[in-house]
Amino acid sequence: MAPPSAEELTRRKKLEVSPEIVSNQASTDLPGHWPGENHEWDLDYFKDNFNVQFHTHSPHDATFSLTGIDTSVSNAFRRILLAEIPTLAIEDVFIYNNTSIIQDEVLAHRLGLVPLAGSRDGLRWLKWYKKPSDDDEGSGTPSDYNTIILRLEVECKWQEGGLARAVAGETDPDKLYINHNIYARDLVWHPLGKQHDMFPAGQEIRPCNPDILLVKMRPGQKIMLSMHAVKGIGQDHAKFSPVATASYRLLPTIDILKPITSADAKKFARCFPRGVIRLDTVSAEDVANDPQLEGQEGEPKAVVDDPMKDTVSRECLRHPEFKDKVKLGRVRDHFIFKVESTGQWESDELFLESVKLLKVKCQRIKRGLDEMIR
Amino acid sequence: MNGTTEEKAVPIVDPTSATEEEIDPSIDRDRIRVLSGATDTAASFQIDGEDHTLGNALRYIIHKNPDVEFCGYSIPHPSETKMNLRIQTYDGVSVYDVLDKGLQDLMAMCDVVEEKFTTSRDEFVNRMQE
Amino acid sequence: MSQQQPNPQTYTTGYTTGGATTDTATIDANARTVHYKCGDCDQDVPLKRGEPIRCRNCGHRVLYKQRTNRMVQFEAR
Repeated sequence: MAPPSAEELTRRKKLEVSPEIVSNQASTDLPGHWPGENHEWDLDYFKDNFNVQFHTHSPHDATFSLTGIDTSVSNAFRRILLAEIPTLAIEDVFIYNNTSIIQDEVLAHRLGLVPLAGSRDGLRWLKWYKKPSDDDEGSGTPSDYNTIILRLEVECKWQEGGLARAVAGETDPDKLYINHNIYARDLVWHPLGKQHDMFPAGQEIRPCNPDILLVKMRPGQKIMLSMHAVKGIGQDHAKFSPVATASYRLLPTIDILKPITSADAKKFARCFPRGVIRLDTVSAEDVANDPQLEGQEGEPKAVVDDPMKDTVSRECLRHPEFKDKVKLGRVRDHFIFKVESTGQWESDELFLESVKLLKVKCQRIKRGLDEMIR
Repeated sequence: MNGTTEEKAVPIVDPTSATEEEIDPSIDRDRIRVLSGATDTAASFQIDGEDHTLGNALRYIIHKNPDVEFCGYSIPHPSETKMNLRIQTYDGVSVYDVLDKGLQDLMAMCDVVEEKFTTSRDEFVNRMQE
Repeated sequence: MSQQQPNPQTYTTGYTTGGATTDTATIDANARTVHYKCGDCDQDVPLKRGEPIRCRNCGHRVLYKQRTNRMVQFEAR
């Protein structure tokens, strides 16, 4: 039997979005689904069909499209990005003094959520730290290769003549106090042992964003604490997640089945976000090709410009004048990924890391399977 | 083996560690086992420390094998980090071979994705610099 | 890493029963002084066991105990 035509393949991977239901959702590229067709896994076929296309690329934000890959695999990448790539975060807080109005446990929680950055090689070099429990000594005493020590020692005071100004009616805290706002930049890293070499100057352990407000204080209040930061994964706690978001959406499709012209065309364009629908002028050629455009030469005509900008709001399906004229859908194997890094790694590195991790997971199972069969 | 779940903490092996020094195959041996009632052409595997991330991807790639009659995975209980994978095959094909092929195919796929992603990113970066 | 050791010199026991009926004669001269903060004027008020609970500066009768000097460990979760 002949292989399916290109139109048939596009039709098969188009998810249909109607006003109330979605249809043709599940992928059918599996052996035994289509009679006479071979859908066996073929690496060369995958190589030819899989594609990556970048849309934006910056350290904290990358958008790119993966096409020709199954949902189960791209979802695995997304899940790994969120929950399984290790990062460094504050895990234990030792509070010696805290007379600020923020409670110890709340302050500890806030500190935990501060994303930390440092030399990439150093972070890879760091080992896991496992807390000792009653029946397991874990990693024992924290050491230079698994624990980073940070300190926060701050005290709020009156500025020179601040009290007098306050009595005179001044209320701007910036003119009255010193250290009344404590930011992430006030966390001081205390390198230990080999950490001096692994995190050289310029790549030392520091908060990704120095401007995160941690505490507000008033004169006489004081905070003295030290922190242990360790490596962990997002599955354990969200503070270890390397991304702010890692998500994908399927590429929307808009098929205009019958021409939409004049006032309707403008209304149609307004049903979509800006840039999705373009208004062209009906040319003499269009009229000659399509009898439905008879006598409409020079009128505006709705044309799909950039379906990627669409949000698939289905607004156009609510209007009776567009009935049977438009069909909305999504391409099942076109994933528009958006990866926003918290700053410890760059977004593109993170995606590559997720691919590597999926492979590592397979290797792990394969080693176990080989051992079992042996 | 008779399908009992024996509590055993699986130590975390560093997946990002550049050195393979920590990896001990006997640890991985404890990660996977065959549930009771298995034959050569139909077996359920229980995999420790895995979830939908690997489960669904592995299910898909095993489905791609024409020798497979049935493949499905489940997570029997949300608070146990265990994943069950059921494979049934046609014509006396060994389920172990099918699982092994599935894992290899998935790894090969990862290599292609990594390679294509890197080239595409580098092209994009070069284009932006021009 | 010995920061987890509490400092044994800073235990505060804080016996402050008595109040208005306390006789100055019963003040235990050997007892440890505990520092309080006045609830009104924020002055430091060092008190020994048996002393009247009263600010020496303004006479206010509400005193606040100071935060412990012991290290407290929290999980950042």
